[in-house]
Amino acid sequence: MLRIDDLVVRYGAAVALDGVSLHLDAGEMVALVGPNGAGKSTLLNAVSGLVPAASGSVTCEGRIAQVPEGRQMFPDMTVEDNLVLGGWSIRNRDLSEVLDLLPDLVRLRKAKAGRLSGGQQQMVAIGRALMAKPDLLAIDELSLGLAPLVVAELAEHLRFLNRDRGTAILLVEQEVSLAFDLCPRTCVLEAGRVVAAGPSAELAESEAVRRAYFGDLGVAGELRADTEVPA
Amino acid sequence: MKEFLTYLVTGITLGASFALIGSGFVVVHRVTRIVNFAQGSFAIIAAMMAASLLRGRLPHGLAEAAAVLVCGVVGAVVGWVALGRRGTHPLISLIVTLGLSMLVSAAIILLWGQDPVSPPGLRGHVTLLGVDVERQRLLVLLVTLLAFAAVALFFSRTYLGKALTASASNPYAARLVGIDVRRMGLLAFALAGVLGGLAGVLVAPSNALSFSSDLALALSGFAAAVFGGLSSPGRTLVGGLVLGVAGQLTAGYLNGSYQTEVALLLMLLIMIARSRTFVAEEAK
Amino acid sequence: MTRRPSTLLVVVAAVAACIAPLVLSDQTFFVHTVLAAVVVSGLSMLMGYAGQASLGQGAFVAVGALTVALGTTRWGLPPLVVLLLAPLVAGMFATVVGRPLLRLQGHYLAFGTLALLLMVQTAMSSIDALGGAYGVSGIPAFGVGGWTVTDQRPYAYLALACLAVVLWSSARIVDSRFGRAMRALSGSETAAESAGVPVGWTKVGVFALSAAFAGLAGAVTAFFTPYVSADSFPPLESFTYVIMAVVGGLGTIWGGVVGAVVVSVLLQALNTVSSQPGLPPTAAPIIQYAAYGTVLIIALLFLPRGIVPSVGSLRLRRPQGSPA
Repeated sequence: MLRIDDLVVRYGAAVALDGVSLHLDAGEMVALVGPNGAGKSTLLNAVSGLVPAASGSVTCEGRIAQVPEGRQMFPDMTVEDNLVLGGWSIRNRDLSEVLDLLPDLVRLRKAKAGRLSGGQQQMVAIGRALMAKPDLLAIDELSLGLAPLVVAELAEHLRFLNRDRGTAILLVEQEVSLAFDLCPRTCVLEAGRVVAAGPSAELAESEAVRRAYFGDLGVAGELRADTEVPA
Repeated sequence: MKEFLTYLVTGITLGASFALIGSGFVVVHRVTRIVNFAQGSFAIIAAMMAASLLRGRLPHGLAEAAAVLVCGVVGAVVGWVALGRRGTHPLISLIVTLGLSMLVSAAIILLWGQDPVSPPGLRGHVTLLGVDVERQRLLVLLVTLLAFAAVALFFSRTYLGKALTASASNPYAARLVGIDVRRMGLLAFALAGVLGGLAGVLVAPSNALSFSSDLALALSGFAAAVFGGLSSPGRTLVGGLVLGVAGQLTAGYLNGSYQTEVALLLMLLIMIARSRTFVAEEAK
Repeated sequence: MTRRPSTLLVVVAAVAACIAPLVLSDQTFFVHTVLAAVVVSGLSMLMGYAGQASLGQGAFVAVGALTVALGTTRWGLPPLVVLLLAPLVAGMFATVVGRPLLRLQGHYLAFGTLALLLMVQTAMSSIDALGGAYGVSGIPAFGVGGWTVTDQRPYAYLALACLAVVLWSSARIVDSRFGRAMRALSGSETAAESAGVPVGWTKVGVFALSAAFAGLAGAVTAFFTPYVSADSFPPLESFTYVIMAVVGGLGTIWGGVVGAVVVSVLLQALNTVSSQPGLPPTAAPIIQYAAYGTVLIIALLFLPRGIVPSVGSLRLRRPQGSPA
């Protein structure tokens, strides 16, 4: 349902994406991993239509919604208003479906989004994206700065969403073990190019990927939240 | 005591019109970070147009409403130019709106000439707290309060109003959820046009307006908006009332020519006292 | 940042400026244009380096003019002394009001300076010691020692001399230690602060400097007119200075001159057109306001760096064939 073909994105003279191709089937979960500055966020923004392509193409059958890096709340507005605005593009103001899916948000409805914890904000960000009834959910840094327990809970919600609603997910994730665990397929980006792609299980065995991403960390599953500072 | 009450009541009604113009500054600044120098010009256009329409036998109410709506369109046009290309610095936009206010002056002289205009308003007086008050001035106060309530409800209760607030709160996230931030900016300018126009048709019957009143109107409105840090409609209302009353008391007990002086001084003091908060807000 | 124009160009401009008063029969336009250039040179520095717009530069012109008016008529000071005193008084006034005022930024400072101008105007018209409702008239002609100016022409040269002094000192200041601090401001204030630049004082310094230039222009105006009242300094004139500064190019030494000349000539031409017989009396203000507005908007949206920097970079670009 999502076809990215030979996509090139430039910021002035700098090339952020240099001929990236990636295809997603409906209901598929794909992880996008790679070092800082590899172009993962740029790819998501190109998919969401926020950055123009210099050449190549992005086509998507269905709606896309993004959970942006840094969660990007409307801080002085209530959770409810944040959610309602998520449905702006399709004029969807009915919260019930999202509140069913993320019941924790029910008691936070009247709270100001800027006052919430990081995990709560991430849940609002996911809820806000879901208000657009997306066929593809593009998530930028799900685990960044969050406690492992919170991340596990969010991951569980995403699994359910994918299984129950058939929502496709494109996940940018620093925490490679979480990415492999959640998404059956992974795409490795480096310096604006795809350097490896395939089933997550195979990539996890691959020596190159192991060295690049598990390297010194040793124990899979440990959080690497401190490795990237949100812009 | 009666003297004091007279100054108080006239000050409040005068301050209401400052607040109404100030609310236009607030609406635009909240959404676009631009200070719209042409805010005073909207009031003059509305006053002139209402006067023309009334002379053309359009009934009261209809004529004023039409004039106010035209100002909404003018506001959107001003916004379209002021928002310029993407990435135009707000301070540059301020000077662009200064240029626009000059163009509006040219248009006003072309269409209506240079003489001050005062369309007919409500006639007669009522007695309030033992003070004689023109009905028209009471109308100003009443409509101002209603307008502020409407603006507050619009921003907090309606879907469109929330989208406007969101554009101000986090433009990036607003674009992400599909809000056209630029169009919201235009809408804010149109709303400012309506609010400015409303002030114009209300004030002009008691105080004649000419093409050159724009500066005084803009300054008094800006001064009121400064009380609210250019972002809070509620505190702008309070600011307008304080300025109006302070001005009337000065004019009454000291000297009429110090009236604006006091307003300007108050504005400067508040701006300087709160400069730290302002810097933080601008940087956001 | 300040690209030096070719020596030839400067010499040609200077010669033309010196010949012009000999050819012109009425010096009023010439004097006003040159004095505007003096004011705008200072404003251009303030806007270009400190990044702050002043919508009330006329306040300092007024202080300078008032120094001359009161100094000559009330205290009997010699003309040369008050001429030199005027920029000092204006600069000191700016230092005093600048301390609190420059805590404001951006929009707030723009409105703050406008408020300052209006307050100066009110003070002038309502305090009798400052002229009051009738203003100060009877300012004696300028003169040094036994020599006294009897016609308009010497004022043209006096104005030119002031402009020369202002341009020369601007060039010196930009290259000085203070100039480096000033240029540091035009980048990021925070960065300048961490590099040890006293941001607050530097801003006040630029503000005072621009005020001193304005005061000097005001002084010459007072001798030339020779009458000073609150109405001599309408806000529209202060807005015109901003237009000239923007049109010429901010933060360049020659931008003020180019902006003042271009805008003045344009307005004068339109003025001539609009005062043609057969046109309604409202044509003049209509054309004037429309011209101000159009020039400002077009300059800001399409030539945001102003004439001098744009032309300068064009000139540099062509022979090299690559963007500068």
